[in-house]
Amino acid sequence: MSGSFYFVMVGHHDNPVFEMEFLPAGKPESKDDHRHLNQFIAHAALDLVDENMWLSNSMYLKTVDKFNEWFVSAFVTAGHILFITQLPYGIKNFFNDVYDLYIKFAMNPFYEVNSPIRSTAFERKVQFLGKKHLLS
Amino acid sequence: MAQCAQSVQEFIQDSFVPMVAVLSSQEAETLSRKNNLNFAELLRPFCRLTSEGHVRDPNNQLQMVKNLRICVNNLVSSPIPSSCSLSPSQYRLLGEVVLSSQPSEGAQATVVKTGDYSLNLSGTTPWFEAYRDNFLQLMPALDHEFLNHYLACLLVVSSTETVPLEQFLKLSQEQHRIQHSGEYTHPKWFIPNTLKYYILLHDMSEGDEQRAETVYEDMKQRYGPHGCYLLKINSRTISAEQDEQIPDPWSQYLLRSNQRNQEVLDLAPAANTAFVENSVCKTKVDLTEKDGPGESSSVETHPLQLDTDTSSASLQILSIINTELKKGLRDTDTLTPGNYGACLTLNDHDHIRQFVQEFTFRGLLPHIEKNIRQLNDQLISRKGLSRSLFTATKKWFGGGKVPEKSSSEPKSTYGLLYPPEAPELQIRKMADLCFLVQHYELAYSCYHTAKKDFLSDQAMLYAAGALEMAAVSAFLQGGGPRPYPAHYMDTAIQTYRDVCRNMVLAERCALLSAEILKSQAKYSEAASLLIKMTSEDSDLRSALLLEQAAHCFINMRNPMVRKFAFHMILAGHRFSKAGQRRHALRCYCQAMQVYKERGWSLAEDHINFTIGRHSFTLGQPENAVMAFRQILVNDSRQSATQQAAFLREFLYVYKSVTGENEGQLPELPLPYIDDSATRVFFGHERCLAEGEKQAATHVSLDQEYDQSSSAMWCILEEQVVSSANHGIVPGNFQPSQSCLNSQTDNLHHPLAVVEEPIIVELTFRNPLKVSLTLSNLSLLWKFAVDEAVLTDTTSEQMTGETISNEKASALQKDDFVTTEIIKEFHIGSEETKMARLRLLPHRMGQLNIVGVVYDLTSPFIGDTTSNTEGQQTPNLMMVRGRQDLKIQGPRLNLTKEDKMQIRHNVDRRLDPIITPPMPLMEVFFLQFPTALLCGEIRKAYVEFCNVSAVPLCGLRVVSTHPDFFTFGSQASTPPTHLTPVSTENCSAYKTFATSLQLGSEASEILILAEEFRQPSGVIKIPVTGDMLQPGESIQLPLWLRGPDQEGVHEINFLFYYESSEKQLKISHRVLRHTVFICASRSLSIQASACRSTAPPLHCVDDKGSRGTLVFIDVENVNTSESGIHEFHIIQVSSGSQHWRLHKYINPSKDNDCKLSSRERAKLCFRATRCEPHQGNLDNIEKYTFADLNLGTERIISSYTPCGDFFFRCCYTSAFEPVDLTSRTPNNSKSQNSGPTEYAAGSDVTRIAKTCNELDLNIIVIWKAYMIEDNRQLILEGQLHVGLQTFGKETSSLVPKEEAQEMVLLKFKSEIPPSVILPFPELSQLIKTNLHYPETFTHHFVQDSLCLVPVTLTLSNCSLALIDVIIDLRHKSTSLESLEVHSSFAWVGQSQYKLQLSQQEVVSLTLKACFFRAGVYNLNTPRVFAKPADQSSMCETSQQTASPALIIIN
Repeated sequence: MSGSFYFVMVGHHDNPVFEMEFLPAGKPESKDDHRHLNQFIAHAALDLVDENMWLSNSMYLKTVDKFNEWFVSAFVTAGHILFITQLPYGIKNFFNDVYDLYIKFAMNPFYEVNSPIRSTAFERKVQFLGKKHLLS
Repeated sequence: MAQCAQSVQEFIQDSFVPMVAVLSSQEAETLSRKNNLNFAELLRPFCRLTSEGHVRDPNNQLQMVKNLRICVNNLVSSPIPSSCSLSPSQYRLLGEVVLSSQPSEGAQATVVKTGDYSLNLSGTTPWFEAYRDNFLQLMPALDHEFLNHYLACLLVVSSTETVPLEQFLKLSQEQHRIQHSGEYTHPKWFIPNTLKYYILLHDMSEGDEQRAETVYEDMKQRYGPHGCYLLKINSRTISAEQDEQIPDPWSQYLLRSNQRNQEVLDLAPAANTAFVENSVCKTKVDLTEKDGPGESSSVETHPLQLDTDTSSASLQILSIINTELKKGLRDTDTLTPGNYGACLTLNDHDHIRQFVQEFTFRGLLPHIEKNIRQLNDQLISRKGLSRSLFTATKKWFGGGKVPEKSSSEPKSTYGLLYPPEAPELQIRKMADLCFLVQHYELAYSCYHTAKKDFLSDQAMLYAAGALEMAAVSAFLQGGGPRPYPAHYMDTAIQTYRDVCRNMVLAERCALLSAEILKSQAKYSEAASLLIKMTSEDSDLRSALLLEQAAHCFINMRNPMVRKFAFHMILAGHRFSKAGQRRHALRCYCQAMQVYKERGWSLAEDHINFTIGRHSFTLGQPENAVMAFRQILVNDSRQSATQQAAFLREFLYVYKSVTGENEGQLPELPLPYIDDSATRVFFGHERCLAEGEKQAATHVSLDQEYDQSSSAMWCILEEQVVSSANHGIVPGNFQPSQSCLNSQTDNLHHPLAVVEEPIIVELTFRNPLKVSLTLSNLSLLWKFAVDEAVLTDTTSEQMTGETISNEKASALQKDDFVTTEIIKEFHIGSEETKMARLRLLPHRMGQLNIVGVVYDLTSPFIGDTTSNTEGQQTPNLMMVRGRQDLKIQGPRLNLTKEDKMQIRHNVDRRLDPIITPPMPLMEVFFLQFPTALLCGEIRKAYVEFCNVSAVPLCGLRVVSTHPDFFTFGSQASTPPTHLTPVSTENCSAYKTFATSLQLGSEASEILILAEEFRQPSGVIKIPVTGDMLQPGESIQLPLWLRGPDQEGVHEINFLFYYESSEKQLKISHRVLRHTVFICASRSLSIQASACRSTAPPLHCVDDKGSRGTLVFIDVENVNTSESGIHEFHIIQVSSGSQHWRLHKYINPSKDNDCKLSSRERAKLCFRATRCEPHQGNLDNIEKYTFADLNLGTERIISSYTPCGDFFFRCCYTSAFEPVDLTSRTPNNSKSQNSGPTEYAAGSDVTRIAKTCNELDLNIIVIWKAYMIEDNRQLILEGQLHVGLQTFGKETSSLVPKEEAQEMVLLKFKSEIPPSVILPFPELSQLIKTNLHYPETFTHHFVQDSLCLVPVTLTLSNCSLALIDVIIDLRHKSTSLESLEVHSSFAWVGQSQYKLQLSQQEVVSLTLKACFFRAGVYNLNTPRVFAKPADQSSMCETSQQTASPALIIIN
């Protein structure tokens, strides 16, 4: 699992708003049997994010949970929760950049909060940020 | 952690109980065997003591022993040293215990609500408790602790024995041998001198009671009264019929014995599933053996391993399991239910209970008490010196080892081992004894001391044991001085696990600790403890602990739902690995509640897939189908191959379900059917047009539904129906809809005609990335035969019955409705596709289309797996299923209730009523143009064809453009005195040669308007006999006239026809036709009329009537490059009730009027009023048509094409309100005004208006020469201009009207100066005209007064009697007239009073007197007019301000 990680933004009803898997350059495809595991782990960590977000002033919650070798760190926006499994360096910057991106996206009057983000532009930008901060 | 039946205290107490061994003689064993039990088992239900016992502690204080339980086991000796872990058979036993303990059906589920989640959970986990109890009982006796070492031994001898005492001796020796010979390691003994208790077992039914008593007396003598017992059992014999129902307390204790089948039978809800499960278990083993190295062969590997990507292999397994499943169902072996204690009466039960009590209180407890005291004494005596001695020796020898044992004892990996009788263990022994008799305080202090000793010796195992027990006893002290030392437990667990590598002990410790933590509500700690205990070595344990951890999460103060769900999933995974499918399924189902419908699609799919597989193997294929359906129905993010695998699995499972219950086909989830998009088309197959024939467009499914156009058709239909019903629309009128969709009105049952097809268009959507193939797709229907129609005897038995094609077996359904089957229907991945399915009803009645039925096939895509499988599977992968069509009507939103709730209207589009045969008509068009010039006349043919077997009649047509076409009027027959010119150029007109006359006068024809008029735009089609017989067809000519506006026009025709038979459900039928006509500009015509200003004297030839001049400006505005050379105006005609064109005033004397592109011509005509006709008085409209031909041919404008279109144009069509304003003269008005004027005569303004009215309609007939394909074509056409008022210019081009008017106004003001005559008074009743010499030369020198005669002509324009007053005295007060020289005077009579009759012209001679030369305005007389019968009050000034200048020289 080294190198690849999973990023998800979760809405108010524990619904994934945006998901992305980052894979290191070498691996062309993630194994299918792990894709659901990512979701399971991220979802399970929500409980701890709920707990931790009231204990901290900052939006970035550092590592909130771990499952086997996966470390889950979280970032809470003014109402949204962003997640990531696998924690290398530079995760905070990644979160901040994605937050920026998300705010811009959410200002689109046609975007309804909590609904899944289906924007290739957004996807591309997150992908870029992921490469910049996480995979480099 | 889930709730348990026992409290923590009870649980821990029961975990550590005094152990008692049983050694029985052969005969005693057979005695108890009669009850199907051995002696230990016999005692087991009575091992809990109900009364309290007492123990004195070393300080002689009384300690209460409450609720004590003892554990009685048969003595099984074995030389193998007990391992520190459980044997595989023991693991299997545990597995079976868990398997057999399933949630009961009626277990009430509690609802947990947190945040968004509302979960349905069962709070108890009896399988966990069962596992725990069994696990603790299976704990091997280990050296470092004594709790489960045997404290006592029961020696049992039967009274039937020849010499029972000898037997006792033998048994006693046997026991001694086992304990002390050193041969056997397994049964471990607490203390060297084990308590022996002698029991004489007496069988009441066969033995001699007397003898038993005597033997017992002997025993008492020998072993003391408290060391022996006479137990009498078996008071009754086994009889065939048991009249007395004795409660059976054993069965619940013996469940864990190995009769698995039986217990499964007891517990599983249905016998079937139990067998299924068994056989599945068997299969599992078989499979793993068979598959060999290919499949992983370890026992843990489950056939349903959760590797979701293997598709074919797993499928194979599924199928094997399925066959096994069926096999399992067959070989049901009969099992005898447990029949324990059959020979025991309730009295015997009491005896046993008494015995156990006696033994415990008189034998066991005193024995323990004695031993505690002994040990205590030993310890106290040793305490003083031992402590110093130990430390001294340690100092001497260094290291942590005690010299005397270090040499002999093996050093284990986890610290040293003590010999069994080592002094360090004595304190532990005492602690254990104290613990067993519930003296927890003393136990704690002993454990604590022991712990310190062990730790100092680095004997880690021992230390961990002591720590564990110290913590437990501290907890059990309950409200004691010290808090519960949780860290002891943690250390103990860690030591067991990490240092000692003894998972069994660690597990026990964790179970205890978790239970204690739970009791203290420290769920989070408990959860992490349990999660830590999961490991790879035991799936079952991991599963159970994970499940408990999940329960901990949900029981927290802030329930952690998501953690709960995740751990449930993990537990489920482990359960399935451990072969506990039922539990796995339960876990997944519980977790599913959290993940459901939140968008975690991959997770959801995984869960559903697992649930599906487990459900299937557990014999719940319905649930499996549901789960698989979920995967397919949800938005999937799986790859195509994955979806294909899911689909195949689903189909397989589905097939097995359907295979079981024949008959009703089950519902398939794929592909989606968009119910509301369903369209139903009631129509016949259209005859294809042949050759140049062009079929009517009809309605077809290919057309999109358009709200406005359908409304338009509806209005048209209403019009035609009302005209067919003498102007009344029937109350039950429903516009006929042949294509129903979601926007049409579907409240009523649609009507379909027998033998005419019904086509249902269904919209299928494939959500998958895999293409789907539906084969044998057809509709499902129900049909109720109309009883009223059923007269023939053959089908009498069907009366009232509902026939349906839903069932496979049926009578000849094709007798009623023929169902078309689509053999193959392909839907690509993520495609939406429509399918059209046809039904052909053959009987009358009520049809309900209920659904579709099809075979769903999953194609093989990109599957490169072995071909051998590929060959098998295709025939497997086809399933037959149905989908119901349930169309919901639109949501109601009228009443308050509707708004509050969500209510839908009914939608009956799929429930047509089949009605008796109706006529069916086809319409074809011949030579129908697509492009026309504005106003162009073209002749085409239309063919009506009755294609049904029923005669039709009442043929009518209505159109949005009634002025576009005409069928011609039959009344107008050409006059006989004219011979038609041969129509070699296919002219639409009938032409007649005329002699060319210069300045020709018009030829006139009087026509009755009714002949042309069609009421309300509905045209009755002139069919001979008014009826079309079956198969008959008729061709009629049809004249078309290009619309007046350029552009593309959509022209809709609605043909209406009825059956000749009345009183049918369908009163009429309609047929729609839409054409698009491209109209291009031809000519623009502007016409205006003005009163001739010429004095009546000048126009002598026209006696009495003051001529009206009509100016017609014709401009060629054609812009098309289509090669139109020029336009010829060949004829100008007029049509009016009161006016007619009289004469062509042609200054150039050139009759031929040619207009090439952008050329303009002006034509001038004189129009006159017609003589009042007879007809006008009869109140019948008669029109005078006057034709002025400019060429050599005359077209009689009142004949068919021309006259028809003239009248058409005059009619206002409801659809063209624009046209109302200018083009069409208001006929109704003019027609009314004439006759009523005399009668009413009161309204002045009306009269005024009337006199200014002119209802002259001009028809300009043209020919255009056009060259196309080197051929000259002659196009003809006519344009209409209606003149309504004098002076106002009207144009044939409508939209430019406004702009033209502006120009015209200017133009108008420019014209008058050319004529110096006073401008005629246009507006009013009386036309005045001053006639005088323009220039009058007078020598004022000669005569100072100049008298000029002026003639004032007054003409009455109106039809009324007018009183006129002419006042000459009146000086003009207006500024304008003052400026001009007004210094002249009228001489002579200064006021006249006249009465003018209808259209009378009167001339007055006036004299004006001038004094000097100059320019004078003569227009000073004021003329007042009023209708004669009006009072003088409403005199109207007739004067206008326009000057009439005279120059006096």
